[in-house]
Amino acid sequence: MIEKERMHPFEEYQARITRRGFFGKMAQGIGVAALGSMMNPIPSLGSTTSVTAPLGNSLGLPHFVPKAKRVIYLFQNGAPSHVDLFDYKPTLRKWHGKQIPDSLTEGKRFSTMTGKQTARPVIAEISNFKQRGQSGAWVSDFMPETAKIADELCFIKSMHTESVNHAPAITFFLTGSEQPGRPTIGSWLTYGLGSTAKDLPDFVAMTSRDKEASCGQIFYDYYWGSGFLPTKFQGVKFRGGGDPVLYLKNPEGMSRPMRRKMLDDMRALNEINLQEYGDPEISTRITQYEMSYKMQMSVPDLTDFSDEPQHILNMYGPDVHRKGSFAFNCLMARRLAERDVRFIQCMHAGWDQHKNLNYQLKIQCQDTDAPSAALVKDLKQRGMLEDTLVIWGGEFGRTPFLQGNIEDTRNWGRDHHPYAFTLWMAGAGVKPGISYGATDEFGFNVAEKPVHVHDFQATVMHLLGIDHEQFTFKHQGRRYRLTDVHGHVVKNILT
Amino acid sequence: MICWYSLMCFGLTNCGTGMPDEVQLAYQDLPDKVDFNFHVRPILSDRCFACHGPDENARESGLRLDQEEAIFANIPDQEIFAVVADHPEKSELIHRILSDDPKLVMPTPESNLSLTTEEKAILIKWIEQGAEWKNHWAFDAPVKVEVSEVKDTGWPRNEIDYFVLDKLESLELTPSEEADKETLIRRLSFDLNGLPPTPEEIKAFTEDTSDKAYEKVVDRLLASTAYGERWAWEWLDVARYADTNGFQGDPTRKMWPWRDWVIQAFNENLPYDEFTVMQLAGDLKPSPTTEDILATAFNRNHTYNGEGGRIPEETRVENVLDRVETTGTAWLGLTLNCARCHDHKYDALTQKEYYQFYDYFNQTSEEGLGYNGMIAPVLDMSPVEDQREVAELQKFVYALAEKVETAELEKFPREDGLPASESSAAEGLEGVASYALTYEPADRTSYFLGQLGNFFKDKDPAYFGLINELRAAKSRRDRRAAENLQVMVMDELKYPRKTYVLQKGSYDNPQMGEQILSNVPAFLPPLPGNIENNRLALAQWLVSDEQPLTARVTVNRYWQAFFGNGLVKTIEDFGVQGALPTHPELLDWLAVDFQESGWNLKALLKKIAMSATYRQSSKVTNELLEVDPENKYLARATRMRLPSWMIRDQALYVSGLLVDSIGGQPVKPYQPEGIWEEATFGKIKYEQDHGDALYRRSLYTFWRRISGPTFLFDNSSRQVCNVKMLNTNTPLHALTTLNDITYTEAARVMAEKVITAKTDDNDRLVYAFEWATSRRPSSNELTILKNRLNDLRTEFAEDKAEARKITSIGEYRVNQELDKVEYAAYAVLSSLLLNLDETITRQ
Repeated sequence: MIEKERMHPFEEYQARITRRGFFGKMAQGIGVAALGSMMNPIPSLGSTTSVTAPLGNSLGLPHFVPKAKRVIYLFQNGAPSHVDLFDYKPTLRKWHGKQIPDSLTEGKRFSTMTGKQTARPVIAEISNFKQRGQSGAWVSDFMPETAKIADELCFIKSMHTESVNHAPAITFFLTGSEQPGRPTIGSWLTYGLGSTAKDLPDFVAMTSRDKEASCGQIFYDYYWGSGFLPTKFQGVKFRGGGDPVLYLKNPEGMSRPMRRKMLDDMRALNEINLQEYGDPEISTRITQYEMSYKMQMSVPDLTDFSDEPQHILNMYGPDVHRKGSFAFNCLMARRLAERDVRFIQCMHAGWDQHKNLNYQLKIQCQDTDAPSAALVKDLKQRGMLEDTLVIWGGEFGRTPFLQGNIEDTRNWGRDHHPYAFTLWMAGAGVKPGISYGATDEFGFNVAEKPVHVHDFQATVMHLLGIDHEQFTFKHQGRRYRLTDVHGHVVKNILT
Repeated sequence: MICWYSLMCFGLTNCGTGMPDEVQLAYQDLPDKVDFNFHVRPILSDRCFACHGPDENARESGLRLDQEEAIFANIPDQEIFAVVADHPEKSELIHRILSDDPKLVMPTPESNLSLTTEEKAILIKWIEQGAEWKNHWAFDAPVKVEVSEVKDTGWPRNEIDYFVLDKLESLELTPSEEADKETLIRRLSFDLNGLPPTPEEIKAFTEDTSDKAYEKVVDRLLASTAYGERWAWEWLDVARYADTNGFQGDPTRKMWPWRDWVIQAFNENLPYDEFTVMQLAGDLKPSPTTEDILATAFNRNHTYNGEGGRIPEETRVENVLDRVETTGTAWLGLTLNCARCHDHKYDALTQKEYYQFYDYFNQTSEEGLGYNGMIAPVLDMSPVEDQREVAELQKFVYALAEKVETAELEKFPREDGLPASESSAAEGLEGVASYALTYEPADRTSYFLGQLGNFFKDKDPAYFGLINELRAAKSRRDRRAAENLQVMVMDELKYPRKTYVLQKGSYDNPQMGEQILSNVPAFLPPLPGNIENNRLALAQWLVSDEQPLTARVTVNRYWQAFFGNGLVKTIEDFGVQGALPTHPELLDWLAVDFQESGWNLKALLKKIAMSATYRQSSKVTNELLEVDPENKYLARATRMRLPSWMIRDQALYVSGLLVDSIGGQPVKPYQPEGIWEEATFGKIKYEQDHGDALYRRSLYTFWRRISGPTFLFDNSSRQVCNVKMLNTNTPLHALTTLNDITYTEAARVMAEKVITAKTDDNDRLVYAFEWATSRRPSSNELTILKNRLNDLRTEFAEDKAEARKITSIGEYRVNQELDKVEYAAYAVLSSLLLNLDETITRQ
């Protein structure tokens, strides 16, 4: 009998845990779910998520009853000009052509395009503003349809951020950090709250741009990326042309019934392997292949608008039939929402009017105004607005002063402006028909009730029943969360 | 066991609840002796250090628990001690963690952190047993102990097995039986070469009954050139390699010669220390060769932000930060990135030390300017005549730049040594034009020159003329240079840049009062004296004998490739927040052995492959599933899906399409239409290659950073350094391997091969099955396939048009002599076989 040396303490300790059955102590049973694809979510000893919520899944989420079941984020890539669209500032007209007060711009960071520009004349809004509906919200005439539904919307006029360029600013809105590498909101939510969509991905991203392709912003796939979360929570990009999902169609010569039988045989063979190897991952794979088969039906079904009544199609405008347009994507968003897809991210580019404000902004609004409003109306008519959160906004605002040469009236522009801008939300849990916060008389800085990007993120989480401070993921030794180490829920816009 | 519980309740203030029942219960289950490194520090780190750790700025109540002196000292200005050795009842720490009072309990409710009953018990017992303090396990040099003694002395084949078996025996587990030969050769072939074995190779192995049969296979695979290609992929993930810059227009770069060097380095078994030194500091070696310099492209693989409106210095700084952090992850397994903005919250790394490390990488001549994929410093690998042409054009640029400089001395008078932007005459300038003047004329990009020129076009036509000439010359030179093969590499400035701590990690907020000079963190061995302290010294320090981390981190990462997880699960973090090694003595043994062998990577991989641990079957029993679902204790081999690139390579190889050709320019295989166009608003079109280029190993696929190759899944995005294996399972993967033309073409070409090689159904099915799975089918399996085959024949016979379609997929020529119905039926069968779980999983 070999006299065993004292066991390494860790080993001894682990032995006791394992002998007692690892799973008895864990909130999450492992069972059939993914041997091979097991990742971090198993809470380490000493969980940091609140486990008191009776609603809680294995991560303890949601923390409380959510108002929203799903989110549609209409992201306006390139940064819409708040002073021309939503933030009415009579002072701009009075000061038109005059140098903006130094006190506002002194010491502030700007992009290099106007960073060293010493001439900074104020430019009045190129549109006309009116107060709308019962709420009296200010909306310019560039957005007539949005104006008509102003009473449904909650305008946050006091948004602010730090980034002065697109990629970092967009990444900041979507992940909480300017550098890519962290999960996006959609990934956090699908990871945290689990799957609801049947036969469809839970997080879908769609992109579109103005026909004029007026600016260089592009869409990086990390805008819907899963960062350090397991890759299955990545957003699935539905493409503008061809099959919405890559590789959806069977090859030529392979019919659907043939595919069905092939999958049946694969299943039979895989089951033989499962018996021999006992690996639950095989089971998961069988399921995933089945899902792929279902998606081959559910996705084309999704994109086939022939079941939409004409008056609905009309509401979204003539572009609705053009695949890859914003209008098309908005209708898709409603259809995805109906099928319980949790997070739908529609990104539309072309708002970056550095040189073409006078003519391009109006066109941009024509492309987006009706579809955005139609989406809200459509959801409302179906009783879905009460549990769907709709968000509309860009990554920052635009300068109240001119970029360029005031003499060159054809090429007026506004540069990137992080210090104040407008975003609207509608639907689940959000007070309709209000404007929250305010900017100074130039629309330059926030004057009342600032809402930082992190505050916005905290609020979105809140609407989905999540306490943003308690929903973390441990990576590289740190408990990351969407809101980094910041963010306060904006309580006064909640119902 | 002394019941301090009762002691505590007699006569002490703050007598709270004593040891609660559940803690008492947990206490009983603890091991006899609690270990500081393995039980205690992980708790302190994860739950306490955020407020009581190395970060001075976040420290509450002046209490720190991360240092030995501090934890036993009294709390500043009070007669309270956090920890009193042997006396939990006198230790404030214990009172706090057991407290019911939300104002006193630690961790605080606001922190959202808490301790389990186990953890509380551990802390109590630790103090009872003398509160022993140890240095963090990973920061002490590894020690090669004698291999453990085991009961089943017949099982171990090499040192690895003794350690593994010892642990299993202590857990009362037994190793799995050895896998059969077909499984073994298949596993080895994928693990070492990224390709499946051929039926001939399988046959040779199964029929070789000699003792050396297995070893022969291992040696053959290690010697194959496919070895270098396989391991290059893994290194490219670490190196964040891509073929484009990654921002806005996503310009293309030409870094592939470095990738070829990597393949060669692996194939020639370049010692890992030399591999390290060449890549981090090849340019600083005495008399560096072209290879030495080419290797340094490693640290230029990061993204490059040339977006309009971005600030060049910000780009430059981001790149330096990336080099620091990539180096930290790949060699030290430390999360240096946390110390960019503040002292590390867990490891004893100060922000100042971060910037000392940063100083090593802050001396490159890269300025953050420019937009294309060939930002200086570059290594021009074109033929000499091509290089000469560029040099000529550059000479012309310099000549014109001198003229501009002379003109500017007059136009923008300023103090000696200052740039033109400092002149009072430069005050009226706007925007980019003003920026341009902060650079010397020769360094201004043509964009900067254009902006500058625009400003002066009407105001000073003569000056404008000069600027415009310079701009034109620069553009000409750049255009010509873009045709050359220029690889971005590292260099070292003659006059060093001054480094300062960047407050909050912000490029524009340096702490000017104190210049920071290169150094290594204090908790690691110091640099040797009497050396020139530069990047070369750093590289050599990383692979020095005294370095406790590098060998462990490296061994661990390669271990992951064979077992799905490292011995330390947190491949990127060996700090106090990282996972503990499951087999600490084994890890150390391998680390020391790796160093002693001369950092011989092939020897390390061979040792792993030759072990009994590796050769086990991957079958999962119910017991193992319950006791060890992650296979931490290695009572079986790990069964894991192949990386998606291997799945593609397999399909090409099995069908006979794979073109065996090492290295060269990246290629553009099949990709669904419009992917690049959509991502770039039509500006960049995907121009697919034809012929052989379609069938190269996935390693050579052109990687556009903003939109990676679509046939991949579960892959690193190459935005940043990645060291973890990813393994998930979604329906989108299924769609890829079922419907991507790469696979459907491979399936029909495989069908051709199958039909041509054998004549009757049985033989054909067995042949196809064997190619796909490396084994022969059972009679059950064969029956399923036969039935399917007959069914397909009938279906295709009824619709020959469909048969024609499915057998003409892809650009590869179609064998017109084959009967279409047969061909189609086998094409579908081949696709089926290529999609079996067994085929795409490494068993």
